[in-house]
Amino acid sequence: MRTTLAVFVVLAVAPGAAAGPLDAPGAAKAVVCSACHGEGGQSPSNVMPILAGMPSWYLKKAVDDYAAGRRLSPEMEPYAKQVLQLGVDEIAAYFAGQTRRPPDVRSDPAAVERGRAAAGQCVGCHTASGKGDPAKGIPDITGQPPGYLQNQMLLFKTDRRSPGDESLKALKAFFKTLPDEQIADLAGFYSSLR
Amino acid sequence: MTRFTRREFLVTSGTGLGLLAAGCAPTIKGDFSPKTGRRVVVIGGGWGGATAAKYVRLADPSIEVILLEPNRRFVSCPFSNLVLSGVRTIDSLTFGYRGLRNHGVRVLHEAATAIEPDARRVRVGEGYLQYDRLIVSPGVEFQTEQVDGLGQAGDEVLHAWKAGPQTVMLADRLRAMPDGGVFVLTVPPVAYRCPPGPYERVCQVAWYLKNNKPKSKLIVLDANQNIVSKTALFRAAWQAYPNLEYRASNKVVKVDPGARQVTTEFGDAVKYDVVNLIPPQRAGTIAVQADLVSADKRWCEVNHVTYESVKHQNVHVIGDSTIGLPVPKSGNIANAMGKISALAVVHLLNGKEPLALAPGNTCYSWVNDREAIAVVNAYRIDGGKVVQIEQKLTPGQSAQWGRHAVGWATSIWNDVLG
Repeated sequence: MRTTLAVFVVLAVAPGAAAGPLDAPGAAKAVVCSACHGEGGQSPSNVMPILAGMPSWYLKKAVDDYAAGRRLSPEMEPYAKQVLQLGVDEIAAYFAGQTRRPPDVRSDPAAVERGRAAAGQCVGCHTASGKGDPAKGIPDITGQPPGYLQNQMLLFKTDRRSPGDESLKALKAFFKTLPDEQIADLAGFYSSLR
Repeated sequence: MTRFTRREFLVTSGTGLGLLAAGCAPTIKGDFSPKTGRRVVVIGGGWGGATAAKYVRLADPSIEVILLEPNRRFVSCPFSNLVLSGVRTIDSLTFGYRGLRNHGVRVLHEAATAIEPDARRVRVGEGYLQYDRLIVSPGVEFQTEQVDGLGQAGDEVLHAWKAGPQTVMLADRLRAMPDGGVFVLTVPPVAYRCPPGPYERVCQVAWYLKNNKPKSKLIVLDANQNIVSKTALFRAAWQAYPNLEYRASNKVVKVDPGARQVTTEFGDAVKYDVVNLIPPQRAGTIAVQADLVSADKRWCEVNHVTYESVKHQNVHVIGDSTIGLPVPKSGNIANAMGKISALAVVHLLNGKEPLALAPGNTCYSWVNDREAIAVVNAYRIDGGKVVQIEQKLTPGQSAQWGRHAVGWATSIWNDVLG
């Protein structure tokens, strides 16, 4: 235990170090994920979501949905099955314990302001903070790369995310009323929230 | 995590390297950097080696890591086919090693000249480095002797299969080719680096010709019986390129730069204005010299959990030079092997049991200037061996997969070097 703590301290202060030692539970099992999702789940791109700080219940749901083909993704379906075989609980707990940094991809400030003005439509479910309500299965949608948020909303709008899911019917009907430009603005706004 | 920046190689670096900073052969004699604690030496700073060096430091910063890589710049093979079509510049794929130095990796721009497994040391010029564990990531070497005339052809016949100067030279030749010219691209027999790479290159050259030199023709001479990877997706993509002629089972055995023609094993001569001959391949030379290769003298067999060589203890081999795992020779696999081998080495040096971790592979191919296709493979360890869980392909080509490809590259370049 003493060794583990010492390693943690060194890593925490060393420039460029990861957020924790790789022999922490789940950390080693998550190394394959970092190719796309970044070191410690801090995705640097505009496409892949940031897993650092993601609540474990939501990451586990996402992995289950990808593995079962409910969320359609030729990229994530195989990896989700790999994660389930490795142990999703440990991996989800590892990412949940990482401190999330703001996305490397920043949103256009004008889009953020337009998105803020349009976000009143979202607070009913995702709450004023955008942090959602885990008890109702409503996820935190803040602080993700804008491109990722935009793509997910477009997938809902075109019924390519979780097709046939009755619980998402109202959400998808709502997105169908939104112009794509407003979806981009909402993505920019929620990406900017911390 | 350090945010690494493209082209940071322009910044002079060397801080903290001490004697190694000199980086010139005359200073390297005897044990030129005596070991003071536990040390891992990594040979090769490509996708596998650079990742391994970084992750050993991440996993246990008390272990000294020395990376031997002669090149001062890392040039990404993935995306380099886009340089041929002019969609990307080579500079946009070129990175330095400062990110690794920020992790405490001692990067020495020298070539390892020999491995002495019994003495646990690596020869560098007239000197040597001691190690506790060695990770070898030597990439591929070309079997030029397999194609008559190739050894003497020099830069007259380009492979452009290690991204860098040859990539730019081939792009220049494509641009200089007159409209109405013939571009011949040859595909080597498996196994070779990046199975879908030649076919992505076909797309990029064909796309360029279609848009810039529509009277020109691209002839593909493939040593294999069919497209090796993403077969149906490439076939569909090629429908857009009437200037493309694909000939399977056409292994090229001879090249004559004077006559500007290649000859297949059946004796068919094919004239060209520009040729891109991708030669047959084997493991990097140091792996052959160090007797890390199997009886075929071509590739290296390893333990599927630790990547330790089956031939020599304390020597781990990763990346394109390995054989026997059901994985492609890809940058993504090399990156995964780099991380898994690094963790195994750290565990072994700390007296712990290595974890049974399997790699994964995500592989995008660009079929024009904005659309891509992809194949994804997931694996597990079963009975000490890597076995495939599943392979998935994109349902077709689209700009969405192109955007994902850019996201993948942004992320994995950071994972390797950042």
